[in-house]
Amino acid sequence: MNSTTITDPRATSDTYTVGAGTKGGPLAGIPLIRLVRVEWSKATDTRAARWLLVAVALSTGGLMLAPLLSPSSIEQSYTSYLGFAAIALSLLLPVVAILTLTSEWSQRTALTTFTQEPRRTRVIGAKIAVSLLLGVGAAAFGVVVTVAALALAAASGRSLDSGFAPGLLVAFLLYVVLNVMTGVALGALVHNSAAAIVTSFVLPLSFGLLGRASSWVASWLDYSTAFTWLLHGEWSAHGSQILTSVAVWVVLPLTAGLVRTARREIG
Amino acid sequence: MIKTTALTKSYGNTTVVSGVSLHCEPGTITGFLGPNGAGKSTTLRMIVGLARPDHGTATIDGHPFIELPNPTRVVGTLLDASAMHAGRTGRATLTIAARMAGVSNARVEELLDRVDLVDAADRRVGEYSLGMRQRLGIAQTLVGDPQVLILDEPANGLDPEGIAWMRGLLRDFADRGGTVLLSSHLLHEVQATVDHLVVISKGVVVASGRLADLLASSSLQLRTPDPSGLASALRAAGIEYQPGPDQTFTVDVQGGRVTSEMVARAALDQQVLLTELRQSESAGLEQLFFSLTARTTQSQEVAA
Repeated sequence: MNSTTITDPRATSDTYTVGAGTKGGPLAGIPLIRLVRVEWSKATDTRAARWLLVAVALSTGGLMLAPLLSPSSIEQSYTSYLGFAAIALSLLLPVVAILTLTSEWSQRTALTTFTQEPRRTRVIGAKIAVSLLLGVGAAAFGVVVTVAALALAAASGRSLDSGFAPGLLVAFLLYVVLNVMTGVALGALVHNSAAAIVTSFVLPLSFGLLGRASSWVASWLDYSTAFTWLLHGEWSAHGSQILTSVAVWVVLPLTAGLVRTARREIG
Repeated sequence: MIKTTALTKSYGNTTVVSGVSLHCEPGTITGFLGPNGAGKSTTLRMIVGLARPDHGTATIDGHPFIELPNPTRVVGTLLDASAMHAGRTGRATLTIAARMAGVSNARVEELLDRVDLVDAADRRVGEYSLGMRQRLGIAQTLVGDPQVLILDEPANGLDPEGIAWMRGLLRDFADRGGTVLLSSHLLHEVQATVDHLVVISKGVVVASGRLADLLASSSLQLRTPDPSGLASALRAAGIEYQPGPDQTFTVDVQGGRVTSEMVARAALDQQVLLTELRQSESAGLEQLFFSLTARTTQSQEVAA
């Protein structure tokens, strides 16, 4: 890899001369788009980050083998195949998002980053934008893999349920994005990669278990159930429960995380 | 220019920094000296907005750091050279800094060359020695061509050659009108580098001023074959003295009110032969440092 190939055209066309410093006049702030580009580099320019993205891609392709190889037990439909892509993406994408948010703390680069841009919320905003871009990209990849798998299934002579609803694509995208956002919110709040990742796996498990004991918990606090309703297009039946999960697992921790990041001491 | 007024910071019941006022002028290198745990890093972190003071203010060229639109174009900050992403290459690390500052990638190559990391530029920082990270950190501070440098223990991990290199770089930076504030817990590191010194102990500034003034000797050393004659000569001239062993005398310069010329004239007036008249050997910064921070240092040694 060679990161010097990542070039900001505005930066290279700068008339800035060495030694001039800021004596040329007042300086503009750092544009948000530049912050997003820098955060994109940070999220993708390390070996670990790239392996993780490869793992997301492989697990999506891998999970798609399930409906392909078990045509008798798994419904051969667009909805069913896309559901497998959704499950695959919801496993590792939140981890990608968590690492994007927490690596500054784990690697202690926050010490540098927040002296480069002391308006910390803007930096977090850029990290959220990058996580969402990765999420949307991964969702698009998931659709491509789904279409390819369905084509393969059709080529093998299976009869496919060809029912296709555009609303399903929207639901799929929302499902992936919301899963990414739970990772973002957790990472924004917890500031420790290992703890945040463990929490992201333990939380849905424990709320799933609690949900067996209490149907109230299952309907209102178990976000994996709520997001699955969303994926299956059961918006009208469970809209308020889905919104509650979004509020509790995305909006609340993200807000708290932004406040914590803005206020905390960095050492 | 860096200016702080009465910076104060407590964690719980412990006051870490108490009433620290610094004033660093363009063209100077200020050493911020104190034993480990004296409050140096906390002070620097308050200056660059990473920690919030309980009381007091800190400004760079008259503005609080956090209000600078693009801080790295004004202030180069290196607080901990080991706080770099281990998985990123040196060049990528510097490129990120350059893009944040909004300067061209040519600046990255120029600085890699300046800190002698061209050959190691595509290796991951995790494989770097502390000295290499320190040099990469210095390159990072210079990327936006700032007028101010704030460096926490920049000599850590550098070999004597590296320290000499850093000294030259900082001197050059200051000579071109830059302002440098650097901290250290090792005296000899800063003694040859800085021209101003602020000594901090237990969060309180215990000495500050020009290095030359802080080092200036406070007494004269005399020797004569005729001690009683010299004693009466000094008495006649109204100069206070302390007789010492081996026909020596020590005269306090009283903050400059007593000069060696006055002493020589007093001896001449009474026809007393002086075989020695010189400034007492300067106790050196070392002794100043230890006398000012003795209690802290001792307790640290006991703890260690």
